[in-house]
Amino acid sequence: MKDLFIIDAHAHTGFPNIFFSPEIDAQAMLRRMDQLQVNYSINLCSMRTLHGYQSIELEKAQQEFEESGGRIFYCGFYDPRRWEEDIEILKKAVSQAGFKGIKIHPSFNNTPADDEGYDPVWKIASDFDIPIVAHTWSVSSYNPSQVLSTPEKFEKYVKKYPGVRFVLGHSGGRGTGRFEAIRMVNEYENVYMDFGGDIYCYQYFENMERQVPENKILFGTDYPWMDLRSHLTRVFLADISTSFKRKILRDNALEVYKLEG
Amino acid sequence: MKIEKVMEDMSRKKRDKVKELQFFDANIWLGEPDFFPIASELHPNDLEEVCSKYHLEGGLISHWDSPKISAQDGNHALLELQEYLPEAIYTIWTGLPLSPHEQDPLPGFNAPPPGLRGVRLFPKTHKYLLSPWVIGTLCEWCIRHAVPLFFWHIEVDWNHVYVLAKKFPKLNIIVETQWQKILYHNRNLYSLMESCNNVLLETSNFIGQDFITHAVKTFGAERLIFGSFLPVNDPFASMGMILDADISDNEKKMISGGNLRQIIKGVRV
Repeated sequence: MKDLFIIDAHAHTGFPNIFFSPEIDAQAMLRRMDQLQVNYSINLCSMRTLHGYQSIELEKAQQEFEESGGRIFYCGFYDPRRWEEDIEILKKAVSQAGFKGIKIHPSFNNTPADDEGYDPVWKIASDFDIPIVAHTWSVSSYNPSQVLSTPEKFEKYVKKYPGVRFVLGHSGGRGTGRFEAIRMVNEYENVYMDFGGDIYCYQYFENMERQVPENKILFGTDYPWMDLRSHLTRVFLADISTSFKRKILRDNALEVYKLEG
Repeated sequence: MKIEKVMEDMSRKKRDKVKELQFFDANIWLGEPDFFPIASELHPNDLEEVCSKYHLEGGLISHWDSPKISAQDGNHALLELQEYLPEAIYTIWTGLPLSPHEQDPLPGFNAPPPGLRGVRLFPKTHKYLLSPWVIGTLCEWCIRHAVPLFFWHIEVDWNHVYVLAKKFPKLNIIVETQWQKILYHNRNLYSLMESCNNVLLETSNFIGQDFITHAVKTFGAERLIFGSFLPVNDPFASMGMILDADISDNEKKMISGGNLRQIIKGVRV
């Protein structure tokens, strides 16, 4: 293996359930990583994890981490509706070598991001110095639950826990949530954004180079929901500096997830 | 090797590959975009420059006024622009059922105007059924003039597409993957493509991991048509999925523009 340097900070394994995907497991992900010069991926949970099978799925993720030669890291998951159980599981998982952060998904859990129920997860992230990555999006006419995950809804906890590195997954989506995401990464030292998902917006990187600090934006794909090659090609062909491309594709994820380069 | 050097090499190789594939885009939009509040309008004067920036050798343009205001408004805007359009840029007009006979400009009553290379339908927005007894006469006109029929997947019912494709096997039906993810409908889509050889797929939002390779192996490269969804989307996103797909260069060329060029070459204007 040579010249593996890219870090995909937003990927998944497991059956997506609501669509057919030709690639679903860690082995397929690893083959794709080798092909496309991706050194590390961060697995932001399977559907099974989101549905309450966290203990089993974390064991599986740790096994995948080891079998991948330490290249597929993973995050735990926190659902405020079963907070006691999840906090216990996360406290145990935090010592595992492959465990790198906690994912929250207010829309999926039908609980707004500023709900009191999220306080325990921010506290544990602060105590153990691990990042939180959240699903974020814009208000959507056809997906009303996205209103629970708009970037500004996380601000209460971003302010309360300034030491917690916080990643706005999907960068606030394709609508007005993006403006809020941009405001927050500029305003708060501990806030970052990844563009996993179909954030295929025109001139996106050229605008981001002007609008956000260069250390605040992470390469993420949402693999296998999105083809790794689509975002990768966009970054490589964007009209931005090579140093910014490097920050996006690698350096910023190393910093946020405390990975060894 | 230094990472920066590797990145510059990779960027150069990708750009060379994009140029080599001679992309021809089925999905470029003029007018003020709807549904995407932070997307900017692509002005006709900028069309040539933008195509050049993304190494697009040509394509088909549509107008946002058609879904947003009326079919005729969009068609009228395209008609007015026709003589100023760059070479290798053609138009997709919006159609309506031919009965009642509504006011022009609409496709279906006369010979196609010179720049027209496709007709798009918006059955949900324009409130009619995509059923042969409603839209059949326009489909017959399209077949007569070898004009392909386009529609966004969110504008149609999959059952209606199946019935239409079976009823008119000589009609080229191009299902477009915008403006919401077709990902969540791919089980219906795959069954449709399996059943109906005259259904083709535009690729701008055909975004799942390895969907392109899987579709080529299952249905053949001749069933895929490159589209970018400019200026809402970055064309390099949909190009990227084709560029490095695990398929032959010939198959890539068919998808990037060969198939669509072949189809529109046959349009009888």
